[in-house]
Amino acid sequence: MISLSDFNHDHSRGAIAVSVQDLGLTYTTSIDKKPTLKARLKSLGRGKKHTRTVQALNGVTLDVHYGTVLGIIGSNGAGKSSLMRVISGIVPPTKGRIEVYGSVSTLLALGVGFNPSMTGRENVYLGGLAAGMSRAEIDEKFEAIAAFSELGEAIDAPMRTYSSGMYARLAFSVAAIVEPDILIVDEALSTGDAKFKEKSLNRMKELRTADRALILVSHALATIEDLCNEVIWLNKGTLMARGKPADVIAEYQKFMNVGKSASSDEDV
Amino acid sequence: MSQPQVVYVPFKAGLPPMRAYMRSLWHRRAFISEFARSELREQNFGSLFGQLWLVLNPLLLSGVYFLLIYVIGGTSDSTRFGHLTATLFLFYLIANSLTGGVKAITSGQRLILNTSFPRIMLPISAVVVAIFRFLPTLVVALAIHAILGLPFSLQMLWAIPVLFIAVVMALGMAILISCINVYFRDISSMLPYLTRSLLYLSPILYEASKISSHIKRYEIVNPIFYLLDSWSRVMVHAQAPHPRALLHASFFALTIFIVGTYFFLSRERDFAVRL
Repeated sequence: MISLSDFNHDHSRGAIAVSVQDLGLTYTTSIDKKPTLKARLKSLGRGKKHTRTVQALNGVTLDVHYGTVLGIIGSNGAGKSSLMRVISGIVPPTKGRIEVYGSVSTLLALGVGFNPSMTGRENVYLGGLAAGMSRAEIDEKFEAIAAFSELGEAIDAPMRTYSSGMYARLAFSVAAIVEPDILIVDEALSTGDAKFKEKSLNRMKELRTADRALILVSHALATIEDLCNEVIWLNKGTLMARGKPADVIAEYQKFMNVGKSASSDEDV
Repeated sequence: MSQPQVVYVPFKAGLPPMRAYMRSLWHRRAFISEFARSELREQNFGSLFGQLWLVLNPLLLSGVYFLLIYVIGGTSDSTRFGHLTATLFLFYLIANSLTGGVKAITSGQRLILNTSFPRIMLPISAVVVAIFRFLPTLVVALAIHAILGLPFSLQMLWAIPVLFIAVVMALGMAILISCINVYFRDISSMLPYLTRSLLYLSPILYEASKISSHIKRYEIVNPIFYLLDSWSRVMVHAQAPHPRALLHASFFALTIFIVGTYFFLSRERDFAVRL
């Protein structure tokens, strides 16, 4: 587990940021929605299976270099989120090895750690601390977070009074203000209204620096093509293609037989 | 090529690299207190009436139980009320830790699925909340002690190690039950019966010296029996606890803490796919 403030290295363009070697992820999950002792006792001796095995990733090998914005595309269940979680250290791999050469920040969901009964201001601290920032770092960046969220005086109102757009704006602001070596973003750019979406996208573009690596998961192919300089396509846990965004996206669309449509370009 | 800052490889079983784990836990200590504070706020303990309820609730509870033992027992005195209040409040530190701990992991699903952090922070936060709820009752217990005219002495300083043992035990129980609940979600439904049984089997509604030796010999398996007995001797009678009782409580607290923590740490990498 790395925290944001543990490392503060300079990374030159082209240096390796993340190395994924023959990665496999197989996990056992409960068949029952909620596993219970009662169900387990009732089925004693009946030989009923309570778990199923899911092969989420299989033999994925890739390197991500500093200065790269890597897009990950694939249909639902392709293993995109699983790959993000393994690189972030949330789920351990079951095969292979992952080497991370810098501090990692994840933006896999918005508002992680937020408590609706607290004010926006308090949640900036709660969300920031949950993301691994120190209190001093949050103090230093608080004004920038508040300004980016455009909440004005509402920052001191309880978050339960916020609209979903306001909630998403503050959540994105807390996450986007972090400046790690490696930033992993999963479907987090489709928040708020059109104006805020554009602002979020611009923020991502600002974060595209030579000493940073960005890994971006999205179904919004237009966003991927716009932001990324390299794309990989995953299908059922296997790496299908890697290369220039336009080429890989075209290959993916051909495979999916969807063609280039407005719906596949939209943020979802 | 420079050395990687972190390497993720498959794990079979056992503990995570403890040095890195403890460093990460220490780095996130501010989150534990902030998270506990937010939980308290959610339970309305940030407001004046919420804080008042923190004191009123245990007082009303001890009043009800005092009435109960008076009706059943026929007689009662100030020592008995002092004993009831002091032990009930400490019991609730453990019961609240269990209640908060049982769902610490399952209700922290979003955090666990989206952030890499030492998962043990969540049951620790639950115990911090229980401690925050316990502290005002400690003041109330001392006030009642003074009003009832119960003795004070330097031996009451034994309360510090006894309280420390209680916190270690509460922490161990919360960590263990939070982990078990990931695999068996109905444990949280069974918890009220478990805490209620512990309440009746422990020297709260009665003093440990009042029960027959026949029953008392079975109390060796009750992890909190001698803890509460020690607490009563220190806080009510202003005497030093029996060394054997202190040893019993320490043994259980340490065992539960070590077993619970080992079980939790060896399973926590599995939580994200179990939730």
